[in-house]
Amino acid sequence: MRAHRPLAPYLFIAPALIVFGFAVLVPFVFTGAFSLTEWDGYSEAVFVGVDNYVRAFGDTVFQQSFVNVVIYILVTLVVEVLVGLVLAGIAISVTRGSLWFRVAIFTPVMLPMVVVAVLWSFIYNPDFGLVNGALRALGLEDWTRVWLGDEQTALLAICLVSGWVYAGFYMTIFYAALRQVPTEVVEAARLDGARENTIFWRVRVPIIRNSIEVAILLCVTGGFQSFDLFYVLTNGGPYHSTEIPTTYLVQSVFHTGQVGYGSAMAVVLTAVVVTIGLIATAIRRRGDSDDRPSRKSARNTTRNTARNTVAQPDPADTASVPTLEVVR
Amino acid sequence: MNPAIRLGRGLVYVGLAALALIFFIPLVWMVLSSFKSNTEIFTTPFSLPTSFDFSIWAQAWEIGNIGRYALNSAIVTSVSVLAILALSSAAAFAFSRYRFRGAKLLLGLLSLGLILPLQSYFIAQSTIFTNLGLTDTYWALIIPYTAMGLPLATYLLKVFLDAIPEELFEAARIDGAGDFRIFRMIAMPLLRPGLATVAVFSALSCWNEFLLALLYIQDDELKTIPTGLLAFSSRYVTDYSLLFSALSIVTIPMIIIYIAFNRQITEGLTAGSLK
Repeated sequence: MRAHRPLAPYLFIAPALIVFGFAVLVPFVFTGAFSLTEWDGYSEAVFVGVDNYVRAFGDTVFQQSFVNVVIYILVTLVVEVLVGLVLAGIAISVTRGSLWFRVAIFTPVMLPMVVVAVLWSFIYNPDFGLVNGALRALGLEDWTRVWLGDEQTALLAICLVSGWVYAGFYMTIFYAALRQVPTEVVEAARLDGARENTIFWRVRVPIIRNSIEVAILLCVTGGFQSFDLFYVLTNGGPYHSTEIPTTYLVQSVFHTGQVGYGSAMAVVLTAVVVTIGLIATAIRRRGDSDDRPSRKSARNTTRNTARNTVAQPDPADTASVPTLEVVR
Repeated sequence: MNPAIRLGRGLVYVGLAALALIFFIPLVWMVLSSFKSNTEIFTTPFSLPTSFDFSIWAQAWEIGNIGRYALNSAIVTSVSVLAILALSSAAAFAFSRYRFRGAKLLLGLLSLGLILPLQSYFIAQSTIFTNLGLTDTYWALIIPYTAMGLPLATYLLKVFLDAIPEELFEAARIDGAGDFRIFRMIAMPLLRPGLATVAVFSALSCWNEFLLALLYIQDDELKTIPTGLLAFSSRYVTDYSLLFSALSIVTIPMIIIYIAFNRQITEGLTAGSLK
């Protein structure tokens, strides 16, 4: 459509771009600039080139924070994505009552992470917490622990809380995708005598591969950006055993006044997240064109009809957008 | 139906209920513990409370300043969501329906917001906000929440508008409607389902946002629920029944809202995350 007045399109986008530019783009560029200085936030900033980056790569706490967050991501891939997939499989296999099941498991996703974290700090409480209480009741007194205060268990304890919250979230994504699997395919497998278990892993799961890939990407890139749970439950302790990049850089910038150094760490973290997102998108795009070469043209013609019949967003559409932010 | 199958079905449902219960136990324990005294919490963590006395909830509401925090959250969330809806629908309309110089570049800039993590800009954002005197005002939260919500909202609404046939807009144009009129009378009504989806996930992420609220708001009278609750819990570290009550007060409305609107919420959230 031609604009009635030539300036009209710009007037429509101006408010959005001004707010976005002011609150995101300008600070993004400035954070990059800060990373090349030594600055406490108040006095004169001193240009130091890449010194902050050199320091970051040699900083054992910063290295440890990346190791920790990678461990966290690997564990959450199991306790969030895999558990979510299994739960979705269970929910799809029953004809009735799955709504209440899904509501119960999804509920934690609704809660502010701070509420979740404070609640779980009680559940892990060594004196009256549910975990130690249950162990004592089972006669496993020796297994009781100060879960969040013990270097050996703190990180895993946080991963479990994360799983409690997000398993329901991924279950919901997978459940929506599983409902789109044509019933004829499942019926055919059933007639061939396949067991429910086999039908799930061999028929349904391969069909929803796209959603699973998106979920994995979301879990990985979202994991790097975690903050809330870690900050409230342990704030990096004990002895940096749950330190992750964001808790460490918040500590550096807002408590010890190292704005330049913190910015450099933020840039490194950003580079990691964006690189993973772009690589994953490139791989998936290539996988798509290898699998189904004619797909693009086919998709364009069926686009409108598909949109009208399918309530959920077409996962193939979402595949082409680098998508990566989940607020944790 | 043969008895073996019936038994199998029954077992599946028992398993289902057990799983749901495992996920729900922490929340049940939280609510039950709120009615117990501190000594009861310590000595018999699994027992049922002796009575359901809601005065402790009233006390937590009062002492914890929860009404104030909820009001602040409501103000920040509603203004941010309205701003996101208004600005993103206007931008999506222009990007979807007009061809103009620089459209690709500008859309690309906005789409950066889909990839950039919060960590890439919040440090400088906080220095800018401090210098402009925005910290400790509602704007310190409303502006970034709006900015962070815009890229995804614009993208989703643009996809929505792209699917609407051009003839609708051309017809309005021939009838003599101006640009803004077409946007308001044709595009906005058609966008309604898309706007609802955007509103759901934007509202949830504003309501629950923590990091920026922690950094920008020190004044207790302006704190939102997440940071307010954290402040409360560090002030009353050992008054467990009070804290359990505060957690329950914040949690239960969310559960009720979720049960009432569970379809819209799950659809909104899955669309919001799948981008």
